[in-house]
Amino acid sequence: MIPDSAFALQGLVKRFDTKVAVDGVDLAVPAGSFFGLLGPNGAGKTTTLSMAVGLLRPDAGRALVLGHDVWRDPVRAKSLIGVMPDGVRLFDRLDGTELLTYQGLLRGMAPDVIDARVTELLDVLALTDAGRTLVIDYSAGMKKKIALACALLHAPRLLVLDEPFEAVDPVSGAAIRDILTRYVAGGGTVIFSSHVLEVVERLCTHVAIMANGRISAVGSLDEVRAGRTLEDAFVAVVGGRVSTGSELSWL
Amino acid sequence: MALTFARLKLRVLRNGFRGRPGKIVLFVVGLLAALFYGILTALFFLIPYVPNAPDWGAVVPAFGGAVLVLGWILMPLVWFGVDETLEPGRFALLPLPRPVLLRGLLIAALLGVPAFGTLLATSGLAIGAGVGGGPLPAVTAAVGVVLGLLLCVVASRAVTSGFARALRARRTRDMAAVLLAVLAASLGPLQFLLTSGAQQVGMQRLAPIADVLGWTPLAAPYVVGLDAVQGRWAAVAARLAITVVTILLLAWWWSSSLESAMAGTSGGGEVRTRTVTGAPVARFFGRARLPRTPYGAMVQRERRYWVRDVRRRASLITFTVIGVFLPVVMNLGPGAAGNVVAQSVNGGSMVLVGALAGLGIANQFGYDGTAYATHVVVGVSGRVELRARAVAYSWYIVPLLLALAVLNAVLRGDLLLLPVMFGTLFAAYGTGLACAMHASVWAAYALPENQNPFAINTGTGVAKSFLAMGAWFAGMVLAVPIVLLVVLGGSVGAVLALPVGLAYAAGAIWLGLITAGDILDHRQPELLATITPRT
Repeated sequence: MIPDSAFALQGLVKRFDTKVAVDGVDLAVPAGSFFGLLGPNGAGKTTTLSMAVGLLRPDAGRALVLGHDVWRDPVRAKSLIGVMPDGVRLFDRLDGTELLTYQGLLRGMAPDVIDARVTELLDVLALTDAGRTLVIDYSAGMKKKIALACALLHAPRLLVLDEPFEAVDPVSGAAIRDILTRYVAGGGTVIFSSHVLEVVERLCTHVAIMANGRISAVGSLDEVRAGRTLEDAFVAVVGGRVSTGSELSWL
Repeated sequence: MALTFARLKLRVLRNGFRGRPGKIVLFVVGLLAALFYGILTALFFLIPYVPNAPDWGAVVPAFGGAVLVLGWILMPLVWFGVDETLEPGRFALLPLPRPVLLRGLLIAALLGVPAFGTLLATSGLAIGAGVGGGPLPAVTAAVGVVLGLLLCVVASRAVTSGFARALRARRTRDMAAVLLAVLAASLGPLQFLLTSGAQQVGMQRLAPIADVLGWTPLAAPYVVGLDAVQGRWAAVAARLAITVVTILLLAWWWSSSLESAMAGTSGGGEVRTRTVTGAPVARFFGRARLPRTPYGAMVQRERRYWVRDVRRRASLITFTVIGVFLPVVMNLGPGAAGNVVAQSVNGGSMVLVGALAGLGIANQFGYDGTAYATHVVVGVSGRVELRARAVAYSWYIVPLLLALAVLNAVLRGDLLLLPVMFGTLFAAYGTGLACAMHASVWAAYALPENQNPFAINTGTGVAKSFLAMGAWFAGMVLAVPIVLLVVLGGSVGAVLALPVGLAYAAGAIWLGLITAGDILDHRQPELLATITPRT
């Protein structure tokens, strides 16, 4: 066991048919860190995180949550993490309160704890006004917030969030940022994937950049930036196309 | 333009096969089955034209055709769903005039195994007319066959999309309305089957019915061949006119419901902003006395979902209709009560319906779609999961089955049959449920995330629903010992039927639970992958 890493991925590999989506990912997320996983579309971020939380069986490698293997000892490992997957539906024919209560009961929490936390979470995330609206009728931002509430409800030691800031308006985004910052200050660990470099730069203590199924750069925020802006570092690592100014002249 | 749609459909079909040999195998099996039954039915349709045909041969086209058309209308509702490979909503942004789109979708719908099988089967009529009357009747019959196929396809599309629209509304009030409508709709064929069955079946009884059928759209396109052979050209013209008018009316209906499908109505969209009162957990369970555990939570959520989810609601409603229809027809046919044959038919119908009831959960994970990820992330135990789902489903189905048995006993005028019927019915429900549990773990498939509750992805969906049919069959076979006990056991068997049947069901469900549950524990991510729609 590596005591100071809350979350460790070792040699994760995933192939779909012939395409290698994730090609040997090693990652150690230090306890108490705010870890950003960056990468262009199709880099394998979602695949990696899905394998790390038990949603997708890896072809090789392991994922350890506070020393517990997600695939060998799933019950213990899964009780320690809160997950917000991306592109996955919720049980959206329940209303917000019902969904959170359901989540709490599934996690085996005591009814009185559930009552207190659900009310407070809905209040903090400004979802109380939605009342009995079914989650399927929520806006995209509201869905993100209720999904985050589901991940937070059982007070996990580690949060794994896939694209928590996508499709979220600035007000909700600020609320989510605030909650996550306080969670890390209280000793929790967060790993999340994102495209929004500005948010990553503001929040994260550590960053990893993925491209083509591999980790191309990893370290503390300052190590990865190495004096540049994060955007420059990202483009340099991923290798973007540089505009010459002559294309699309017909536009 | 129409050609473009045809090419698009074939391309989508082909891409769906890429890298999935299992799917290709199942497709070929389906094709071979269509070929086999198509040729068999075609030979059957030849009967009226062969020399020295039996006297019942004359009614074959009318009854056969009516069965075909009814099959096209009812089968998608009940069993297979509609192939929505080319989903209308996808064309919403393209500048296509409605008639062009309709024509394109129709052609895409014609390019499929069921349409091929139907054409093959009815081609027997045209061949027969040619043999019996020469080229002109053959051409006439061929026109009827083609029009009949068009009628089948348009009718099935129109009815499913109309039905889908009715079911889309969330309020339960609408569900009751739909239920009544469906029941009323099934009364017609019910009455017909009852009158024809209750009286002694004979030519003099069947001929008038065939005559009437021939003048309805159900059989009109299929009897023109006989008319032509006998030189009744006025009748030919009238029947073809009936068919064409029906096709046009149905196309108009389909076209009007197409608009709402393209607009992508988001399910009524009534936003209830009434505030929530009471403690969350107490509110979640309402008046249900369930344990405040993961198990209790899942039972309660499943119970809500069987009402709130359109697809599940549709499956409950269609089961209700078949459940009422099937045993009544089978039991009130010829042959009075008392003898072994009647007893077997009665037991058989109970087994059929009981196992079919269990089949409702054969794709229970597919209904949830990616929402099932919640359970994977939490790590719900497989046995608990399956038990909760079975209990929630039975909460709706068991009262329904009780009512069905009582209805049947009353119609037969013999309430003493009830214990025997309960015994067989629930034994079959138990075995059916156990088999369906395994099907739900092994053969789950993704349902497209659109609004049509009857839509399924072509290929995998249809193929996997064949596996579900296998589960139904297995459920029925496993329930045979109880039927044998009733039929061969005499008065002792009648007394023992209820307790033995219930114990048998309990045992089957228990075995299904522990075996399928343990498999589920090891298959959660794979299951999630199979029920995730590929977009």
